Order: sequence, then C-alpha cells, then structure tokens
Amino acid sequence: MVGLRLVNISKKAGKRQILRSTSLEILDKELFVIAGPPGAGKTTLLKIIAGLIAPDEGEVYIGDQMVNAVPPGERDVGMVFEVPPIYPNRTGFENIAFPLEIKKMNPESIKERVEEVAGLLQITHLLKRKPTTYSGGELQRVALARVLVRKPRVLLLDEPLKNLDAKIRERTRVELKRLQREFGMTMVFSTHDQLEATAVGDRIAVINDGTIEQVGAPEELYDSPKTVFTARFIGSPTMNIIECALKQMGESWVLDTSDFKVDVTKRVQAIEREAMTSELLLGIRPEDVILLNSPEKGRCFEGQIELIQNFGDERVVTVRVGKVSLNSLTGRERVFRYGQKVYVKFKEEKAHIFYRKTSFAVM
Amino acid sequence: MPKLVVKNLRKVFESFEAVKDVSFQVEEKETLCLLGPSGCGKTTTLRIIAGLEVPTSGEVFVDGVLVNDVPPQKRQIGLVFQDYAIFPHLSVFENIAYGLRVRKMPESQIETKVHETAALVDIESILDVPGKKLGLSEMQRVAIGRSIALNPKLLLLDEPLSNIDAKARERMRAELGKLQKEIGIATVYVTHDQLEAMTLADRIAVMRNGLIEQIGTTSEIYDNAKTLFVANFIGSPSMNLIDCEVAYNEERATLKSGDFNLDITEFAETIRDKSEGKELVLGIRPENVSLDLVKTDPKAIEAEVQLVEPVGAKSIYHLKISGLTVLAKGYPMPEVNVGSNVWAAFNKDKLHLFDKKTEQAIF
Amino acid sequence: MARTKGVAKTVVRYLLLIVVCAWTLAPVAWMVSLSFKGPTEWYAPNLIPIQPIIDNYISLFIPTNPIGGSHFFTSITEPITKPLINSLIAAGLGTLFAVLVGFLAAYGVSRYRAGGTFIIFFTLLTRMLPGATFVAPLMVFYSSIRFIDTYAGLILLYTAVTLTYAIWLMKGFIDEIPPEWEEAALLEGASPWTILRKVTIPLTKGGLAASALFIFILNWSEFLFALVISVTQVTTLPVQISKYVSAVGRMYGTQASLGIIATIPSVALGYLIQKHLVTGFTFGRIR
Repeated sequence: MVGLRLVNISKKAGKRQILRSTSLEILDKELFVIAGPPGAGKTTLLKIIAGLIAPDEGEVYIGDQMVNAVPPGERDVGMVFEVPPIYPNRTGFENIAFPLEIKKMNPESIKERVEEVAGLLQITHLLKRKPTTYSGGELQRVALARVLVRKPRVLLLDEPLKNLDAKIRERTRVELKRLQREFGMTMVFSTHDQLEATAVGDRIAVINDGTIEQVGAPEELYDSPKTVFTARFIGSPTMNIIECALKQMGESWVLDTSDFKVDVTKRVQAIEREAMTSELLLGIRPEDVILLNSPEKGRCFEGQIELIQNFGDERVVTVRVGKVSLNSLTGRERVFRYGQKVYVKFKEEKAHIFYRKTSFAVM
Repeated sequence: MPKLVVKNLRKVFESFEAVKDVSFQVEEKETLCLLGPSGCGKTTTLRIIAGLEVPTSGEVFVDGVLVNDVPPQKRQIGLVFQDYAIFPHLSVFENIAYGLRVRKMPESQIETKVHETAALVDIESILDVPGKKLGLSEMQRVAIGRSIALNPKLLLLDEPLSNIDAKARERMRAELGKLQKEIGIATVYVTHDQLEAMTLADRIAVMRNGLIEQIGTTSEIYDNAKTLFVANFIGSPSMNLIDCEVAYNEERATLKSGDFNLDITEFAETIRDKSEGKELVLGIRPENVSLDLVKTDPKAIEAEVQLVEPVGAKSIYHLKISGLTVLAKGYPMPEVNVGSNVWAAFNKDKLHLFDKKTEQAIF
Repeated sequence: MARTKGVAKTVVRYLLLIVVCAWTLAPVAWMVSLSFKGPTEWYAPNLIPIQPIIDNYISLFIPTNPIGGSHFFTSITEPITKPLINSLIAAGLGTLFAVLVGFLAAYGVSRYRAGGTFIIFFTLLTRMLPGATFVAPLMVFYSSIRFIDTYAGLILLYTAVTLTYAIWLMKGFIDEIPPEWEEAALLEGASPWTILRKVTIPLTKGGLAASALFIFILNWSEFLFALVISVTQVTTLPVQISKYVSAVGRMYGTQASLGIIATIPSVALGYLIQKHLVTGFTFGRIR
C-alpha cells in the first residue's frame, strides 16, 4: 500500500472544464473521501488516478512513481465502479477469478485466492451462482472481491453505495471501513453524501465544480469550514447562511441581517479592514439555533414556525424570522405546532463569518 | 369521509404474490406513507390505487366511490412519477395545461387555472421555461402542479426523492413538506427511505412482503414498534437488537445475553408471562445509549469503543459490550477514540422487548 | 362478467394469430404444393396435388429428365449443384466478412466514437437509395477491374452492401454492455484484444448471432446484383431460379422445388444458432 499525489490536474471534456488544476495528497493506509455534488468531477478524478482517463495537465504519483505514462493495467490500482462490473454469463467464482485469469495465474492459486477473498466478504455462497440472482448488496460485494483478489496497492471506489437501499448502505459503509482498517488499505472513496463522507473518512476533500474547496478531517471541516460551500455541504441539516452587514452598536459590534443581530465583538479584529463596511455572510448551524417559548434576557428574536420535520430522535424546525427562514435542530422532548410563535436565540460564539465576495471564511 | 379506502388488496403476478392483503384509509388533508424495502409491494399498491394495475382481489374507494373498474384518467387521482415525467419540449405552462386541454377545458379557464396552480407551487416565474431546462426542484414542483391542476381528490407520489443527491434531497424534502401543508390534499406516497417517511408523513404504513406490518403516526411507529422488522427499519442508525433471555431470581429480573446483564426488575411483573422461558430480543435505539468516561450511572456497563462515525452534530460510537456490538449516538466526545474504555448506560424507559420467534413486541 | 370478457379476448387473440400465420405461411404452403405438382396441375387451384410427383426435384439435379412425360424442355442443361455452391460461397463469405469488419467497426464507433457522428450517418445513406441506382455504375466499375463473373466481385459486393446493417445492428448490442465492464478488465491488465475476446464477444454472442443470421438471409436471397454480375461462373441460386423458363412458359414446379431447397440453409442456420438468439434477446439487466 502506498500514498498518492495529484499535482495540478486539469481536465476538459468538450467545452466544459471538469477539473481545474486540482491537487491532492493522500497518505498511505488512509481512507480518503472525495465528496461533492454530482458533476463536481469526482469520477473523473478517480479515473485519472486509475489511468482510464488521461489528464490534460498535471501529474499523478502513486507512491514515488509518476504514473502518467503508465497504462492502467500496470498501475496496480483497483477500482469499484458505481455500476458493478460483474459479467452475467459467468459464475461468481469466475467473475472474481477474472483478473487472475488475465494474469495467467495457475488454477490452484486462483482457487485459493478466490476462496480467501470470498470468505472475507462473506460471499462464499455466491460463488457457484450466476449474478442474475444477486441482490444489489451482493453485487457490490462480488465486485469488491474481484478487486481485492488482486491485492492492489490502491483501492478506488466510485460512489459504491449509491444504488443500495438506505439500510444496506448503513451497514456496508461500516463494513468497508472495517475492512480498510483491518488490512491497512489505501482507499479513495467518492460520494455525494456528506454523511457517508464524515462517517467513514479519515480525511475528506470537498470538491465543487472541479475545484477542491477544503481538505481535512471530518471534525475540522465541520467546526472550521474555510468556504461557504464547505460550510453548507458538510452537516445535515444544512448550515443556515444569511446575508448581513457589520455594524457598530455602542461598544459592541454586531452582524446585522436586518431581521436579527448577532454579537461578534470578540471577533471583530479578525475581520479585514476592507470588509468592515462591506458585505458578509453569517453562518449558523441548526443545532446552534435555540428556540424558546418565551423571550429571555439577552438577544432573542420573534419568529413563527413554518415546518416541523420528525427525524426520529430529533426534530428540525423551520422558523421564519422576518424575511428569513432558519432551521433549528432540537431534541424530541419539545412539542411544537405549526404557526406557533417562538423566540430564537443564537449560540453566538458558534457563529461563522464569511466574506460575501470571495466566499472565504473570516479566520 | 376518508378520501381513500383500500380494502383487502391482493395482487398476484404469475406465481408471485406482490401484494397479499393490504387495507388502509387516508383522511382528507392527511399524508400517508407506504414505507418498505424493495419488493415489499408498496409500488404495486400505489399503482393499483392509481388504476395502472388491476388487483387480483380487493377494493379501492376514492371519496366513497368504488373505482375498481374506473380507468386511471377518470379516477380524479393525481400521480407524480419517480422521474417526474415532465414533457421536455413543452413550457411549464403547457405542461400544466396539458391535462386540462385533454379534458377539454375552455382556454380562458385554463389560463386562470394554470396561474392559480403556479402560484400554489411557486413556479410563476418559470412558466415560460421549456421542460428540459428545468432544475430538479423546479421539475418536482411542476410535476406536482400538473397533478393538482386537475383538482384531484387524492395525490400519489412514487418515490419522489429517490434519484436525487443527498443535499438536493434535503432541500426538496423541506419544500415538499411545506407544499403539502399549503395544498392540503390527501396524499399517499411510496418510499424506501425511512427518513423521508418520518419527515413528510402524518402516518406511516410499514410494508414487508406484501403485507402491512404496522400502521400508525410517525411517533407511534418510532416509539412503539410492534414488530422486530418495524423497529429495525425505522431509525438511523438502526435500533440495537440483542438476543437475550430473562432470568428471574426472587424479585429481581435480569436480561441476559452471554456475559451481558441488564437489570429490569422494575418491569418484571408486566412482562413475566410473556417472557419467561422464551427467547427474546432486546431493542434499544442508539440515542438511548449514553456514554461517559466515568461510571456516573451505577447501572452502567463497561464498553470498548471500536469505531467512531462523526455524523454532523453528533457521532455514532460502535461499542463492544461483553462480546456484543452496540451502537450509541450522542454528542462528540473528543477524548473518546477507537480503543477507549467507556461506560454505557441504557435508558430503561426506552427499552423494547420482542419475542424472538413471533417477532412481536411484548414491551 | 369479467370472466366472459377474458374468454372472448383470448378467442379473438387466437383467431388473429391464426389469420396472420395463415397469411404468412400461405405462399410457402403453395410453393411446397407446387413443387410436387406436374405441369398439368401448375395452374390448378388445388392445394394437394392430385398426382404428386418428385420429378421436379430430380430434374434440378438431372436436368435432361423431361418432366412428367410431357414435352416441356427447359434451357437448363446443368444441375443446380454449382449455383448452390456459388450461393453458399458468396453469401457465406460475404456474411462472414461483413460481420467481422462490421463488429470491429461497431466497436470503434460505440467505444471510441470513431468517425464522429458523421460517418455512422453516412453509412446509412448508402441504404437509402434503391439498389437499382448502383447497378449501372457497378457494372462499369467491375468490368474495368475485371470483377465481372468472379467470386471476388460477388463477395466484395455482398460484404460492402450488408456492412451497414452489420455495423448498425452490432453497435446496438455493444452499447448494451456498460463501458465500466470493460474498464474494469483494462485496469486488471487486459489488452484491448483480450477484452474483446473475453468480455465483449461472450456477452454479445446472441446479438452477433442474430445479426449474422439477418445478414446471411439478405445475401442469400439477393437477386439484382447477382443477376448483373454473374454470367456463367458465379450464378447464384436466386438467379438460377429465374432461368427456369421454357419455350412455353415458366417452369413453376421446378422453380418451386428449387425455392424450397433454397430455404434449407437459412432455416438450418437459424436452427443451429437459435440457442444464441434466445440469449441475445433475453439478455436483461441485472437487478
């Protein structure tokens, strides 16, 4: 197992720029996640690592070796596709054995390896059957077995959980993480689901429209997003982002959204000079939006409940304060009604501030 | 008068019984969700209600009228497909007007009706946009608009949020929720995603293998699951299910599973006759398992952390307790990592007990 | 009420089926009947020959045998073995080459978008004009390179003409295979040829078989160009059939018997590959 490096990779397809000079470093034995909305360039990035697509610019390093000129078959990279490449005209065994067949391994060794991997992934019962009888989850596991049987040095997975039912997805992501841990594989995983990304990844690269917004550990991205996109992408329900302006009120400084205000006196130093009067964005996560039944001392604002979503152990309540709708995450002990009047209070120290023009966070 | 009554529906395809015996009612302004894994019969049931499939036996009443022999277009039911089925070459206006024209509504009336509908689903600004240029969320609203323009008595939606990426789904779920409240038509929709069901429905019918396992409000289904299947299906992450037995010792009652012991003396009498000598399954949701670094709760049990999955504001901890794997969900504790030893306390008020054989809840 | 409706529907359905079958098979039945009839009955309306004879078949192979004791002599002096072989060679090899070249071309178009959108459309153009338009230029061209009345000429023509169908048909089947299935093999170190051999062809076997059969039938029954190109050496079966005329009219009986014999290879081929045809058409997605 080795680390990976991508340096200034660019790729265009037709008129569209898919990747814009992206660079990434993935450590040996790391479970690295590339997360972003559909069309961001995740699949293209993975295919460039695998060698199935050649970048217009930039270099790919696997370990210390620059592999731009190395054909995909010789890079020793395994890839699990969104659509599992399982041939219906061959049995499970034959499908898994396929790569070893190509390498002209002898039949006894092939048998040994295939059975080993099948046992690992608990699919021994599928070996004799043909894939037309497999369920979605089983297909993915056989596809994974086919890749693992080669013992590649890097494992790429392109949205592997996308086509699975919600419950199976939950289980499979834990299985994947366990496998990765146990065998110390260098794994690069792509997904559009930020929950999957944070649950599974050691580090995550958030990608949007061909550019990497931020790379970091899940907690880092959650607590300290560097751009508005990352702030919105990571975390569910999505962070509330509201336009505001910086204003001075006596001794203190506040972010004024025209519907409510948030005190930022302690942080005003960090805001750049030019931005003092210019436009900013306030970011506040739903769990930091507190709903009160009656007004308290301190800053709170009147609002009306627009929507209540039952998340089982939690509730997401959408409150309209003036012209803005805010999402609040609360426990289930509180009972709310539609149209109810509530008072909104913020955990001001948890507020995020962004520059409206550049979308970057105030550090 | 309920808007929809479904009575003893049964549907057999060649030798496969897709729907075995399904009955339920939907009141005016109510949203009912048919929830279940792939192949449970939910989509077939929906199609029977719509008139796209003929039931082998059973009856469907819309607004008190038996509609078994009534063709789909005459049932006054609106149907929104999984992929919305918007005519790409027609403008939004034309898409909505289409059904009205087929019903030979005079042009002047059509104009008014379309504008009325557009206002309701907030698409007035895009009336001239051709279908193929619409974004997903817009398509969803146009599809719904098209259905409600015909003043249906009932609205049916087939997995409306299935093919959408996670972030967009969050947004559209909230929009759909708001729309439902505003439009107020009796609605039935089908999904395999329990979160969608919980957030959008008033009542949920959990289906499995052609039968309804349980039907009730979202809170009822979440808190009082009647069967193992329902308990496992609802809630993310899934409820912890542990095989166990009750040991009665004088006045004390203890749940035992291998080395795992949980004192449940408080409930001993309530469950004695149903639990003595039987194989049981203990159910407890991850959010009801709390963790602490020190043994603050005298009844807490020692556990080892095997995996941590950060999922936004909270984290999921995979614990090993006496050889069993138990999941706990709570606010992140930075000091707790893989390998840490913690104390896990089970919230007794939130325990579920199931008879292993019958899969029915006994507590 | 619903029950009787169902029965009525089934009856109507079967009636329709019988009518359509009868309509389609009637000419064949008539041909079979003709092939066993003597000249006296050729213009008679009865389906079953009153005096069935096998002379029609025999005369195909032994042409000097006068038929049924009458004195209708034909201008044919050779047995049909040569035209039969000619047809087999021309249609057989023509189909083989069309399928081979067509498959590779279809693969290029499907996977590598060879020729862009223009080439694929261009090949279709050749089929949009009636064959007769090409006859004159073809004759001139062929005579200048001395391809008239040669096997090479016929095979080349058949290959070229059916190539379009080959590409179109097989492209469809290749498109059905998700590219990821081949990319996975590529990643595992397979060369493009190995991929074709071990992945693509096994999976499209049914489609290839169906295409091959379709093209064979086209070539086998081709008349116009064969008529124009052949003189004596490479006369094909369809051309030969047209030569069964005598001083007093067409030898329907003999033509019928020849026609029946002519259908045998197509039917045999279809029978042999039917297993693959079924796999080809029922190859569904894995779900």
